[in-house]
Amino acid sequence: MISPFQERVQAALGDRNLHVALDRATAQLGGRQSMALSTLENSDLVRDVARRAKMEILSDLGGNLKRFEGQLLANGAQVHWAEDGRQANRIILEIAKQRGLKRVVKGKSMATEETHLNAALAKAGLEVVETDLGEYIVQLADSRPSHIILPIAHMTREDVGRLMEQRIGVPYSDDPRTLAGYAREKLRDAFLRADLGITGANFGVVQTGTICLVTNEGNGRMVTTLPRVHVVVMGIEKLVPTMADLDLFLKILARSATGQKLTAYTTLIRGPKKPDEESGPEELHVVLLDNGRSRILAGETAEILGCIRCGACLNACPIYKNIGGHAYGDTYPGPIGAIVTPGLRGLRDWNELPGASTLCGACREVCPVRLDIPRMLLSLRKDCVEQLPNPLGLRIGMKVYGMFASRPALYRRLAKLGRWFLRALAEEGWVKKKVPGLAAGWMRVRDLKAPAAMTFQELWRARKGGG
Amino acid sequence: MSEARATILARLRDAQRTARLPGERPGTPRSLEFASRSPEECLERFQRELTALGVETYLEASAADVRNRVMTLVAGRRLLSWDPELLPYQLASVLTSFIILGRNTREEQAAAEIGLTGCDAAIAETGSLVLLSGKGKSRAVSLLPATHVAVVRRGDLYFSMGEFFRKSGERLAESAGCTIITGPSRTADIELSLTLGVHGPGRVVVVIGP
Repeated sequence: MISPFQERVQAALGDRNLHVALDRATAQLGGRQSMALSTLENSDLVRDVARRAKMEILSDLGGNLKRFEGQLLANGAQVHWAEDGRQANRIILEIAKQRGLKRVVKGKSMATEETHLNAALAKAGLEVVETDLGEYIVQLADSRPSHIILPIAHMTREDVGRLMEQRIGVPYSDDPRTLAGYAREKLRDAFLRADLGITGANFGVVQTGTICLVTNEGNGRMVTTLPRVHVVVMGIEKLVPTMADLDLFLKILARSATGQKLTAYTTLIRGPKKPDEESGPEELHVVLLDNGRSRILAGETAEILGCIRCGACLNACPIYKNIGGHAYGDTYPGPIGAIVTPGLRGLRDWNELPGASTLCGACREVCPVRLDIPRMLLSLRKDCVEQLPNPLGLRIGMKVYGMFASRPALYRRLAKLGRWFLRALAEEGWVKKKVPGLAAGWMRVRDLKAPAAMTFQELWRARKGGG
Repeated sequence: MSEARATILARLRDAQRTARLPGERPGTPRSLEFASRSPEECLERFQRELTALGVETYLEASAADVRNRVMTLVAGRRLLSWDPELLPYQLASVLTSFIILGRNTREEQAAAEIGLTGCDAAIAETGSLVLLSGKGKSRAVSLLPATHVAVVRRGDLYFSMGEFFRKSGERLAESAGCTIITGPSRTADIELSLTLGVHGPGRVVVVIGP
């Protein structure tokens, strides 16, 4: 029996096109990021202080949210609280209905991916257009983003060209510039007609009630400038204490995400437009979304709420680089997803994700706020064993293994026997036979290198004896 | 919805008791101070960063030179502008009737070829332009046209973003929207191949005056 997760992994591993796209994307991006972070003045210290600021927020998240809310209200924004995705969507639909808003443009937002807002809006008869180029293409393909900052990391330029030809009737091209031009044309019209703009938030500053959005294309600016009403959907963990802290986060976010010093546009929003202003939204709504975050805070993986969604861990992860984002099965892919998804959606249905890691620690190395991702993955694996039912075979197997492992002499003898057995099975240095039983899963997808004639300890003794 | 608020805050209170949060590295300070630099150093760095970002930059010695430069850049083009009275160097005196203001209809604004703005501050370290929203300073001006021309006064240069945030808290508080522009609009969503001018201006021109 193979699980849906294994099925997705199998499909991804066999998809040649996916690997072309992933290689082109992650290799370049990973290189740029590490360069960018290392050229930041005092980068180690900046990361330490930024991490400290996030942990300070998380050590009193409720209190900080109340202070943030107070500032937002003082700035003239309207604040809504949503326990889960369904509540968040209902709040937004209500805002739209009361004001007769029909045409929605969206900035890139992981939080609204999480709540499946687009489907909810479409079902209520609203027109919704994603305006980030990658997200627009994802929407055309009726798919999901496969990377936090590069939604179509799974597509080649040829894929995009064919999709646009089919869905919006433009001549085929594999030139990214031409393709971006097509999208610009289509989206320009949507921006000018829209009456409701919806975005996420990169940061919310507690001290001032400032919403910070970073974008490169300018779509985020369009969405927050042209429509009459602006709704921000933000996870309750996205706070930073002060503007001085925001400065540090801006320093590390773009560097870790795209390798830029700063994204082209940093937008700081502090309330709806003033009555005498010519542009900007008349109303600003902020929806504070829990959707499982308070549950994560209660446990061993609380630290993950310090994630600033830069995507650096994805590009560094050997598993992500091989299976891509869709195999993770939910909104957040990669090492971060392997922790966040079980946290938000429950460990029972997502218990395979913490296993989708080699624990090599590359994610921890590149994480700008130094989240100890491997520790949290291990902790979730421990929870899986302790809290979820384990197959009988595994339980007995671990008992038997424990029996041998705690008796060195017996263990050595058995290991010798095993080695002899495997060497007997091997052809040209590799065991290629498909075997039944415990090792079947392993052997189905790879060959096993035959063990060496002597163990390290045997070699050590032999050399010492000889020298 | 106050019910949801109470529920979430109660959940967080409970969660806080069992949350496992790591301590910081010993000796980690609460905040960092970044030294400011001399005006000359700021100007040199600003120009260097702008060039690296692909921004056309002109350094002018006098107000008259700035006016001439801006006229050359905008002559004969459909121009969307801040309220001319808010532009520095008496630019209002030379800008003639071809100007479209931020209060025209959206369609008229969108048809403009050049957006002309002043600049409330500029950040040398990153080559960034800071525009604070307000009356006569429509956010659409630096956004809708394919070219953005920004006029920067040398005295408005800060070395770092942190310095600007620290010294301009009040100005930031008064403005509903602050836009920090660092180079032209760009995307690399398709195979990380760089395309300029997606939704915002693909061409940014900075004229620095005395």
